[in-house]
Amino acid sequence: MNALARKFAATTALVCAGGAAIADNHLLRTPGDGPYNWGVYEDFAANHDFTGQTLSILGAGTGVDKTRLENVFAYFAEATGATVTYSGSDSFEQDIVIAMQAGTLPDVAMFPQPGLARDLAARGAIVALPDSTRDWYKENFAAGDSWADLASFPGPDGATHVFGTIFGTDVKSLVWYSPEAFEENGYEVPETMEALKALTEQIAADGMTPFCLGLGAGAGTGWPATDWVEDFMLRTQPPEVYDQWVNHQIPFDDPRVVAAIEDYGWFARNDHLVDGGSKAAATIDFRDSPDGLFEFPPKCLMHKQASFIPNFFPDGVEMGVDVDFFYFPAYEGLDLGRPILGSGGLATVTQDKPVAQAFMEYLQTPFAHEIFMSQGQILTPHLKANPDAYANDTQRKLGEILTSATTFRFDGSDLMPGEIGTDAFWNAMVEYTTGNLTAEEAAAAVETRWNSIK
Amino acid sequence: MDNIAGQKSSFVWASNIATLTLVLLWIIPTLGLFVSSFRDRDQISASGWWKAPFAVELTARGRTGADTAPEGDHFSVSGNIFDDREARAAFTGDPGAVSAFGIKGAEPRAFQVGTTADLGGGETLTVNPDGSYVWVTPEDPGNRGKRIYFAAKSPPKLTLANYRTVLTSDNMSRAFMNTLTVAVPATIIPILVAAFAAYSLAWMEFKIRGLLIAGIVGLLVVPIQLALVPVLNLHNAVGIGQSFPGIWLAHTGFGMPLAVYLLRNYMAGLPRDIIECARVDGATDFQIFVKIILPLSLPALASFAIFQFLWTWNDLLVAKVFLPSADEYKVMTVKIADDLLGSRGGDWGILAAAAFVSIAVPLAVFFSLQRFLVRGLLAGSVK
Amino acid sequence: MNPVFQGLTTIVLGVSGCIAYFYTSNLVLDRVLYPARGPRITENIARANQIRPWLFIFPALFVLFVYLAYPVVGSAFRSLFNRSGADFIGLGNYVALLQSPDFRRAFLNNALWALFVPAASVAFGLLAAQLTDKLAWGNAAKSLIFMPMAISFVGASLIWKFVYAVDSDIGLVNAILLGLFGVGPVDVLQIPFWNNFFLMFILIWIQTGFAMVILSAALRGIPEETVEAAIIDGANPFQTFFRIKVPQIFPTIVVVWTTITVGSLKIFDIVYATTGGNFGTEILPSYMMSFMFRDDGRATAVALVIMIIVLPVMISNIRQAQKEIR
Repeated sequence: MNALARKFAATTALVCAGGAAIADNHLLRTPGDGPYNWGVYEDFAANHDFTGQTLSILGAGTGVDKTRLENVFAYFAEATGATVTYSGSDSFEQDIVIAMQAGTLPDVAMFPQPGLARDLAARGAIVALPDSTRDWYKENFAAGDSWADLASFPGPDGATHVFGTIFGTDVKSLVWYSPEAFEENGYEVPETMEALKALTEQIAADGMTPFCLGLGAGAGTGWPATDWVEDFMLRTQPPEVYDQWVNHQIPFDDPRVVAAIEDYGWFARNDHLVDGGSKAAATIDFRDSPDGLFEFPPKCLMHKQASFIPNFFPDGVEMGVDVDFFYFPAYEGLDLGRPILGSGGLATVTQDKPVAQAFMEYLQTPFAHEIFMSQGQILTPHLKANPDAYANDTQRKLGEILTSATTFRFDGSDLMPGEIGTDAFWNAMVEYTTGNLTAEEAAAAVETRWNSIK
Repeated sequence: MDNIAGQKSSFVWASNIATLTLVLLWIIPTLGLFVSSFRDRDQISASGWWKAPFAVELTARGRTGADTAPEGDHFSVSGNIFDDREARAAFTGDPGAVSAFGIKGAEPRAFQVGTTADLGGGETLTVNPDGSYVWVTPEDPGNRGKRIYFAAKSPPKLTLANYRTVLTSDNMSRAFMNTLTVAVPATIIPILVAAFAAYSLAWMEFKIRGLLIAGIVGLLVVPIQLALVPVLNLHNAVGIGQSFPGIWLAHTGFGMPLAVYLLRNYMAGLPRDIIECARVDGATDFQIFVKIILPLSLPALASFAIFQFLWTWNDLLVAKVFLPSADEYKVMTVKIADDLLGSRGGDWGILAAAAFVSIAVPLAVFFSLQRFLVRGLLAGSVK
Repeated sequence: MNPVFQGLTTIVLGVSGCIAYFYTSNLVLDRVLYPARGPRITENIARANQIRPWLFIFPALFVLFVYLAYPVVGSAFRSLFNRSGADFIGLGNYVALLQSPDFRRAFLNNALWALFVPAASVAFGLLAAQLTDKLAWGNAAKSLIFMPMAISFVGASLIWKFVYAVDSDIGLVNAILLGLFGVGPVDVLQIPFWNNFFLMFILIWIQTGFAMVILSAALRGIPEETVEAAIIDGANPFQTFFRIKVPQIFPTIVVVWTTITVGSLKIFDIVYATTGGNFGTEILPSYMMSFMFRDDGRATAVALVIMIIVLPVMISNIRQAQKEIR
């Protein structure tokens, strides 16, 4: 659910950023200043010259996301002499298809979810990157194979190639909590799923509510629940099964999927475990749901949400003091490692031009990642990017989760076809959470819809 | 007679009361949101808007100071909790009296104000209504004060802050301009086009006139949904795409049947002699239209203009489809439905302010030009 | 270009363009093509007068054709093709719709809207019209009941979402439930089946004013004598209302009823802004939106279904219009 979440994140972050927004075409830092790989930047500048050329980029990031991206692009422009124009659109998904049909594709398209690129790659709209890119992923990204797979699709000839560079990632598998509240009540951060479940029951037994859950997101209502289910898929099944599920090689109503949904239901469908009860969870907005952590008495002690959620914390909440996070743990009883669920964007070349190819190279430099991550919210699995570039300690800790992952899997709903991942799955989760459908029925409803779009 | 009179007056009473109930039922929802648009977020979630004039009790937390010197076998810290930045920041106005306090977030009202709470191990805490506290502890607090949770009244406060936020940081001012940009041309252009057509359908003789009128009546009820996909594809094909010109054209098209229908009905009702006289005097149809029909039709033109303006201003569906969904193109309805309802989901103060920014213009139009609106409605549906 | 500036330019260009079109086309017709002079003056005038109506009506007909008439055909055509638009699949989309439980749910909900909203709006409107008729402050009351008409569906949805809010410190409904009955908190938008009615009430709230205005005018048009005669005959106010007044304004009631019915079939904003179609509140227009631009074949098929439901109203309106014109 990266795209939508980002979109929402952008709107609020804009408020927080206030007057601090950085003007276009200005460099964030003067070269040589700050914990960045300036050497990489200077090498790149020395080897590329596109003076007088223009590079057009279309992406989904608007508002503060747009500003962040433009700050990254400014150095490309500075280094190569090219003029970079970026347009962000909330309806990127539609716009890029229309642009393809009208023959007005930009030079570079930055997909908010790699899954959206699959269709365009098959139709020949995207230029494949060299096959060596896979090795680049392996060498430079934590869990590099997972990332390379994400960026690989069958081309028009049916052969699979790497089609883009992953740029800008979120981690989903996180639980946010108030350290002070834990301390006051004598609770420990759970290291295993068994311990998390025990703690959840303990909190309820102590007369408090363990979790805040909010599925509301306007037209996108339901997506936070899909993250839960995906996280449970990774915690109850090997990653291969997760991939089969996402690619519809096993039916959506496979018993293993139903079991993962029910694992989510263990938390969400118990009125004692979620603030306001499970019916309320369906309408509480996901941006408001973490507020419960910061009230007295707190409405809940834990909140499972992705790394972008601090954007929506009330004003004045101090990271690491008022709120902290822990890894949404794995089952001790199942030997499945430390799986991480996340999401991220994919930059692709849509016009076969040297300047666009060079731009891909630029996005693969640790330097570009450092500039991006230094502006907050965005994480990177790039192993060579300097962690000191992160905006704060919390971001850095989040980044470590990403670089220490044994298995990384992408947000499944982002990889499924739009009608499933951004509609049917969401709706089914709402109906399941509120108790209108059983896990089997909810899964079967998605399966039916998926079969109908062949 | 008395009996009948009595019955009558009780009947009048009954209808007065019934009307009042109905009117209240109709305006209270709007009133509620309106009041809330002036309330601060904490106040909204702490008490209903109908209690807006009264103080609300909020819970907050602060930390005591740590400046102390040992007094015998214990340490004593005193001060005022409202001197703590975090505690003070929780109250927008002057905070009222503290009513209770506690030392755990889970129980912020554990102890009555003014009492000395025994925290065990020789540690005690006293908090008074004015926020002053005394904390006595056997151990040296070091540089970390004691965490205190407390409840205190926050006085009622009405503010324009929500409107300021909505208009500045939420880009609602941009959306307002966009709405205006959509609505005004989309109101004026169709009127002109329709007026000529209505005149020819009302006063010019030609073969398939009846058929055309019937056709236009038929198009009155065509669901807009039907037009969305083919028309957007057409716009893409001719290069208009999703843009302001595109939505102006779309609104012109969708408003046209009602415009022609309303204006034709009105014009057909104008006295025949005036037009005949002018014709005899040698006026051309163009002159008749401009000099006689248009001025006489002003009330009908105004009626339609109000309709079309309200419709285009309030529209969500057409704007969603025919304008790009980027922020710089969002009209207010789309902004509220697709953005604020999402990003400001539970922040009712902000949502309410946004709603009233979007409602203000139509309401002003409505109350100042209600006569024309009513006339238009009557002409449009009763005939 | 700044959109506001663009808007102003459009107004100026549009208005002057329109005037220029009508003016010059008339001029060309009268001076160049068929000048009202020379040997064939009578013939020329007659010809010009035959063409002129078409000059006047052409722009309107053109937009009507492009934006309403063509789309009916275009949508019907598109609905026979698959999601990419490449393959002809006949009635495949319609068959798929009929098999989909979501479609059936949306269809039934829409039917509910089309029955309940006009009925309740007309009932409330009639009540309001009758009550305010003789009242000193009747016009002020009418104005307030009529006011929601000016509010956008999105604004209205927000207003009512606030009333329906689950938190009894925010939502009036839950405050009343808790205060008077000690029941609490209920999310009325999640009560199966009945939640539809809470959404419908938003539209009723808007449409009652419309019904009231028109019915009130109709009530005033009733000849005084008929009412007086009934009163003299000893009819009580209720009898006069239902036996004398209502039958006389019955044609107007039918018009108001059908207008609101058509409106309630097309409404999209309310469901979109309140429940987003969740909790079993989907109706056809919002159901259609979940397919738009993904599977245009399916989306246009849904639109066609709405059109088919509206068709009887359309036909009867056309008949009526033809009768009036004679």
